[in-house]
Amino acid sequence: MSTEAPVAPRVLVVEDDTHLAAGVIENLRAEGYEVSAASDGEQALAWLAGAGCALIVLDVMLPGIDGLGVCRRLREQGNNTPVLFLTARGDPADRVRGLEAGGDDYLAKPFHLQEFLLRVRAILRRWDWYHSASATAATAVLSFGGNEVDFRAFRARAWNGEAQELTEKEAMILKVLAEHDGDIVSREDLLEKVWGYDVFPSTRTVDNFILRLRKRFEADPANPRHFLTVWGVGYRFLKDGTP
Amino acid sequence: MKSTRVFQLTALALVLVSVVQVAWWVFDQRSYTQRNAQTLRTAYAGQAAAAQALLEGGSRPERIHELLPNILVSDGHAALSPAASAALAAEQVSRHRQYAWEGAFFLLALGLCIAVIARALRAEAHVLAEQDSFLALVSHQFKTPLASLQLSLETLALRTPPPPQARVLIDRMLADVARMELMVTQILESARLERGRADFRSEPVQLAGAVGRVIAQLEERARQAQVSIASDIEPGLSVVSDPLALDVVMRNVLENALAALAPVGRGSIALTARARGDEVELAVRDSGVGFATADGPRLFEKFTRLHPGGGGGYYGTGLGLFIVRRLMELAQGRVSAHSDGPGQGASFLLTWPAAPGQRS
Repeated sequence: MSTEAPVAPRVLVVEDDTHLAAGVIENLRAEGYEVSAASDGEQALAWLAGAGCALIVLDVMLPGIDGLGVCRRLREQGNNTPVLFLTARGDPADRVRGLEAGGDDYLAKPFHLQEFLLRVRAILRRWDWYHSASATAATAVLSFGGNEVDFRAFRARAWNGEAQELTEKEAMILKVLAEHDGDIVSREDLLEKVWGYDVFPSTRTVDNFILRLRKRFEADPANPRHFLTVWGVGYRFLKDGTP
Repeated sequence: MKSTRVFQLTALALVLVSVVQVAWWVFDQRSYTQRNAQTLRTAYAGQAAAAQALLEGGSRPERIHELLPNILVSDGHAALSPAASAALAAEQVSRHRQYAWEGAFFLLALGLCIAVIARALRAEAHVLAEQDSFLALVSHQFKTPLASLQLSLETLALRTPPPPQARVLIDRMLADVARMELMVTQILESARLERGRADFRSEPVQLAGAVGRVIAQLEERARQAQVSIASDIEPGLSVVSDPLALDVVMRNVLENALAALAPVGRGSIALTARARGDEVELAVRDSGVGFATADGPRLFEKFTRLHPGGGGGYYGTGLGLFIVRRLMELAQGRVSAHSDGPGQGASFLLTWPAAPGQRS
């Protein structure tokens, strides 16, 4: 993975409505992004099989394989390109479905242009931070309690020798925690750093991700030594574990 | 959902209580009949003893039979006559049968009533669910053109583009507004159709004239899209339909053909009609994008859009062909669609009952 941020990040816009796609593409170009377009899920997957981009703007309701299916398939293939979902359905349950499918952000139609551009920038900034924070050999790998995490490959080897595939959110949370080894990190800080802002309906989502990290990396997830809960505040990561 | 569950549980409880009640009733009646039969037998035994005493007292058997007709005297012995004994047993069996039938009939009637009520409730729940999903789909359909409209307006406000680019945005916005207007019309039409056939008239309509009027309305658009429309319909062909419904059917079928031709850029639409028995068939063939053969039946479902983005400025609402199917059903006709596959064009076959005057 490239260590320096590209001069003009490429965005893939997957939208079946030609008018909306044209509007989104023109505005992204006006902001200086390189833009490619696909009008359905199959086209998007075919394009992504041969090329890469910094962000995918993905409509949920697509003919054939829908946006959620495209995102799931990408994640299964180990493609961690961030996804911003566009959808006509904006209720919390739909948002959660989108984010569980591996999406990074969710924007309900009709949306404000400025907000859309802001979210695109925010996602790219988060990924820039992640990539630059994992740029050197020292920061790309984290070793703790017999676990070894490769942030660039999104892979890990757990204390029991088990190979683990990390989702990008798990890797990002781990990165934030590792950067603050020994310090308390609040749930809000984790949300802000990993998701941006009001994407999730509650901070409980963070708790679920911490549970998943414990399951992957703690010998006894019920009595964690590395991912400690600080009641009412957030979490503290201890690289060396509790004594 | 909750009320359905409550109904199911109440019905189940009612059936269980009724079964127990009926079983108890049958059992109780059976015991009562047995007790009655036993009492009668005891009474007959008493009569037999009395008859025996009379016989031994010197009374004649004929006199005894007169006094006690159910008692038979033979060989100096008085006993219950076989006929009376058989009648007693038959009466008992007949009573048991009657109670069993009555009980079963009661349970059957109860079951039927519950089934009728359950069916009505299910139908109502289905209608409510349909309405909910219709509303959800309708609002979803509106959000995309609305999003496009908002995006174009905000682009104009944010970037103040030069006139040629602004013109493109304005045209796009006008097309989005037209799209929403078409959707409103079609949604109202389909909502009216959902309510049934209250306003539907059935009268002879001259097909060539009706089709010609719709073609004339679309001719300019077709010319701009480089689409030729050829119609070969005998002037004498008449069908039975509502004239307005026929107009809506033809407009939607031709709009659909134009939308299918838009991504291709140019092409043709051919209409041919013929009488076939008591029916008139109209085939509408286009050289547009076509569809996978298996998708044919799905085309007429609500909100099915096989080429949602349209192209060249045409957008389907997913309601046009649904309306066509409903109107054809109301006209006692039918519609089907066929394509040999994507890129192979499509043909729609509309069949109406022929007007009485020209049936062959």
